[in-house]
Amino acid sequence: MSTTTADDFHGAHAHDDHHDSDHKPGFFARWFMSTNHKDIGTLYLIFAIMAGVIGGAISGLMRAELANPGIQYLHGWAQMMDGPDATMDQAYHLWNVLITAHGLIMVFFMVMPAIIGGFGNWFVPIMIGAPDMAFPRMNNISFWLLIPAFALLLGSTFVPGGSGNGAGTGWTVYAPLSTSGSPGPAVDMAILSLHLAGASSILGAVNFITTIFNMRAPGMTLHKMPLFVWSVLVTAFLLLLALPVLAAAITMLLTDRNFHTVFYDAAGGGDPELYQHLFWFFGHPEVYIMILPGFGIISQIISTFSRKPVFGYLGMAYAMVAIGVVGFIVWAHHMFTTGMTVNVKMYFTAATMVIAVPTGVKIFSWIATMWGGSLSFKTPMVWALGFIFLFTVGGVTGVVLANGGIDDNLHDTYYVVAHFHYVLSLGAVFALFAGFYYWFPKMSGRMYSEFLGQLHFWVFFVGVNMLFFPMHFLGMSGMQRRVPDYTDALAYWNGIASYGYQIMGVGVVIFFVNIIYAFVAGKKAEGNYWGEGATTLEWTLSSPPPYHQFETLPVIDDSGHH
Amino acid sequence: MAATTLSPQRAKRRTAFFAALAALAMLGLGFASVPLYRLFCQATGYGGTTQRVTEAEAAAIARASQGEGRQLSIRFDSNVNGVPWAFYPEKKSMTVGVGGKSMAIFIAKNNSDKPITGRAVFNVTPDVAGPYFTKIQCFCFTEQTLQPGQEVRMPVLFYVDKKFLDDPDDKDVQEITLSYTFYPVEKPADQS
Amino acid sequence: MNRRINAFMMAMALGLSALAPSSAMAQAEAVNAAAQAAPAAPAAANEAGNAATAAKPAWDYAKPVATVGQPQPGEMTFQEQFTPNGHYALWMHDNILLWVCIIISVFVLALLLYVMVRFRRSANPVPSRTSHNTLIEILWTVIPVFILIGIAIPSIDLLARQFKPAPKDALTVKVTGYQWYWGYEYPDNGIPEFVSNMLPPEKALERGEPRLLAADNRMVLPVGVPIKLIITGSDVIHSFSIPAFWVKEDAVPGRLNERTFTIEKPGVYYGVCSELCGARHGFMPIAVEAVSPDKFAQWVKAQGGKMPGDKSAEAAPAAASVPAAAEPAAATNAATPAAANAAAPATKS
Repeated sequence: MSTTTADDFHGAHAHDDHHDSDHKPGFFARWFMSTNHKDIGTLYLIFAIMAGVIGGAISGLMRAELANPGIQYLHGWAQMMDGPDATMDQAYHLWNVLITAHGLIMVFFMVMPAIIGGFGNWFVPIMIGAPDMAFPRMNNISFWLLIPAFALLLGSTFVPGGSGNGAGTGWTVYAPLSTSGSPGPAVDMAILSLHLAGASSILGAVNFITTIFNMRAPGMTLHKMPLFVWSVLVTAFLLLLALPVLAAAITMLLTDRNFHTVFYDAAGGGDPELYQHLFWFFGHPEVYIMILPGFGIISQIISTFSRKPVFGYLGMAYAMVAIGVVGFIVWAHHMFTTGMTVNVKMYFTAATMVIAVPTGVKIFSWIATMWGGSLSFKTPMVWALGFIFLFTVGGVTGVVLANGGIDDNLHDTYYVVAHFHYVLSLGAVFALFAGFYYWFPKMSGRMYSEFLGQLHFWVFFVGVNMLFFPMHFLGMSGMQRRVPDYTDALAYWNGIASYGYQIMGVGVVIFFVNIIYAFVAGKKAEGNYWGEGATTLEWTLSSPPPYHQFETLPVIDDSGHH
Repeated sequence: MAATTLSPQRAKRRTAFFAALAALAMLGLGFASVPLYRLFCQATGYGGTTQRVTEAEAAAIARASQGEGRQLSIRFDSNVNGVPWAFYPEKKSMTVGVGGKSMAIFIAKNNSDKPITGRAVFNVTPDVAGPYFTKIQCFCFTEQTLQPGQEVRMPVLFYVDKKFLDDPDDKDVQEITLSYTFYPVEKPADQS
Repeated sequence: MNRRINAFMMAMALGLSALAPSSAMAQAEAVNAAAQAAPAAPAAANEAGNAATAAKPAWDYAKPVATVGQPQPGEMTFQEQFTPNGHYALWMHDNILLWVCIIISVFVLALLLYVMVRFRRSANPVPSRTSHNTLIEILWTVIPVFILIGIAIPSIDLLARQFKPAPKDALTVKVTGYQWYWGYEYPDNGIPEFVSNMLPPEKALERGEPRLLAADNRMVLPVGVPIKLIITGSDVIHSFSIPAFWVKEDAVPGRLNERTFTIEKPGVYYGVCSELCGARHGFMPIAVEAVSPDKFAQWVKAQGGKMPGDKSAEAAPAAASVPAAAEPAAATNAATPAAANAAAPATKS
């Protein structure tokens, strides 16, 4: 059934000769008017890498400033940005701009585009045996919306936003700091940037849902889909249900800022805490949006390198569904100190802890997948193993923070920073690297250096642990988030963390060297370069796959492959 | 699936339509949360939201239950934010019996040489007392305009509902704080 | 009595209305406003105003103990706790949560290392095809549930204790967060709002206090007496936090929050604003000085306030306030009460 669909669509493009599966359009048409899911996936990955470099460089600035107590460089940077007579307040504001930009870039322009736009676009259609996404042109729009979104965010840095240039509200954009507290167009630009990025993700989510529901090859039932596809499906639903709430919340911010509405303005009878409720109703599913596709990638990799089907496939799939559902009813644990009644706090404490159960199911199922397997420790597998351990560490500190009474001390401290970097920077990012090494030869047709891949892992592993583990100590000592300076007693662990950043930076350099190596000197990759354990449909194709795959739909036999 | 009756193209459109509908519904819910949140706060006292009744309702309630029971301290807190007013309660606290009607006076004086309109927002702490703290009459229900140098005494007529005594969350509550913050009403045109 | 209360309430309200970005300006504005408010006694108000801008309470703040109430160099755990709830929370963290964290992490790590060695390709060339085991799947669902219930019980108990309302004899202190300083007011003691700014680093070091944590005016509190903080924000959301008391509560504009705790030991305890509130978010510390109830009463007197039940002060507010203003010892810090007195005649009630 899907064949006709794809043919119908491609028939609309005169220059798209779908009878020649490897005929590619010219450069401009291919990359700027792309309707091919693999090309769009590639664009997303390139975009995410560039955004990641910018976001990572910003965190480098932050760690440089925080390496020692006192203000080292911040004032100098402010002078570069705002002219030689920049005040200290402008410098401090610049700090808030840096932390805001780092957060927004990493969430909306690095992790999400890479893991959903990049790997999702590349492999969801292939894994379900479809020729392309359901709405290829909408897919293209999704990607190109990100460019003005990113431009708006970067541009906001150069226009006034309160005490200095740029949006210094934190990625959470809490009112009233983001309304009456930040005059100037910078915050408006940042909000519009989020609108565009959100629209991009919603369109992408509609596309993924339609593709997965309608374009599976004959025999590919929902319960036979690879777990990565399951993870993207659940993620797409989270995007679909969470992002519109963010859109509504920030639209009201915008009208509060510009059109004298009072949704969040206590002066007019509004409530600033309503914004927090809406933001975190989106924000908590958002963290699962970032990590669930990572779960899917890890499941594929563990299964491949254990040469064993995933243990407890259904449990794994429905654990993700459960995480997605429960993720919508725990949001107020981000607001434990805003002044809630004891009953509300007790409820959110209990509900939040419930999430540990399906997460535990996933961790143990991965280990059970390896149990009895025949393990080889190629680069993707090493990253996946690192993921499991580090995500566990991030998960258990999440259980600590889930306790409303304990959170009273840890809320908005570096302990929270450590926690969410363990689950995202060491969770989602490890999953991204694992997926990248797993699929890079499939996407590019070139093998990377196994040695450099392993070296990248070890350097990065040491670096990020040194960077983020001390933050637990800093938070427990009482160091609050989002400050450019700290009291002298906190110097020791801050210094260690900044050294950790440098090691991590070396790891990232190795990563780029490895990519260059692959393109310059990498061996040609075969269709199934991982061998026996790799059973999903992408391994039945050449590397890189033909420009149009599955013109004759694959038929999935009864034995399945999960 | 429905694919047996629909062409693939229409099946896709249908899925996309429902997906888009879900997104729109959530967008609507996002905006609808503004009145819903207010209703929720009023119904549950969440965020220290107080209750409001009319004089007649209050009389009926008073007939049903004579003000006796536990003695509670009510503390009054006042803030001004952006209005050049002096604003303070006549008494900083008073002791009331649960169920009994009481009146507190707040005094506001315009210290500027311009007429200024303000509006008070309010809440009570602890939050668990919100559902029972009932106002019959309050200056916070309407905007207040003060002429230059004018001083007004503004009454708040309130009682603590007897159901307060039955709520286990409130069993240790000794003092309820009623807090007001006066904000300016921005558009002078609204003063009329 | 009412007059007196009115006066300080009014002065407080005026203080609150001054939303200037810097505290010096805020103080100056408050004084100006006070002067406008009290045309009947302009000279007195101005005098008070001059004193207020240079206000330094006649009170020798205690030297902090370096190991108490502030972060320790290289510290790997929480600050020492000085409230009953703080002890309980710390106990819960150290004896339950931390062990759950360690045991689960080590258990997962051990399993990973075991399978990596036992099932490496050279040791186990032929993989099994097992992909289901209902019993173990039930176990790893149910056991975590029990662990979580085990955590939830003390966690709920801790919350219940933290939310226990303040008893009748509690001392109420009002905290207001401003960009970027704190305002403290003691409504039951007749001490109108005074602001607390960060001490410049060199001054802090000079006084033997930690950089970025030291404040010019501290919040002085008695030990052993339940403290009820009522907290609000003036411009944006701030968060009042003292790690050594296990206390953190947001200061939200247009809304009052409350928080109760009892300090066990005299000392100086530091905290920081814990919600991003703009440029100088990192530079609006909280400094609490906990003293014995007797010393607290002295401090209140030195501020021109009174202790509840202080009969002489209540019976003759005017009489009490005049000598207070005239006392030489109180000359420097009489600013605020004097302003209140000056304002009093203007208020007819």
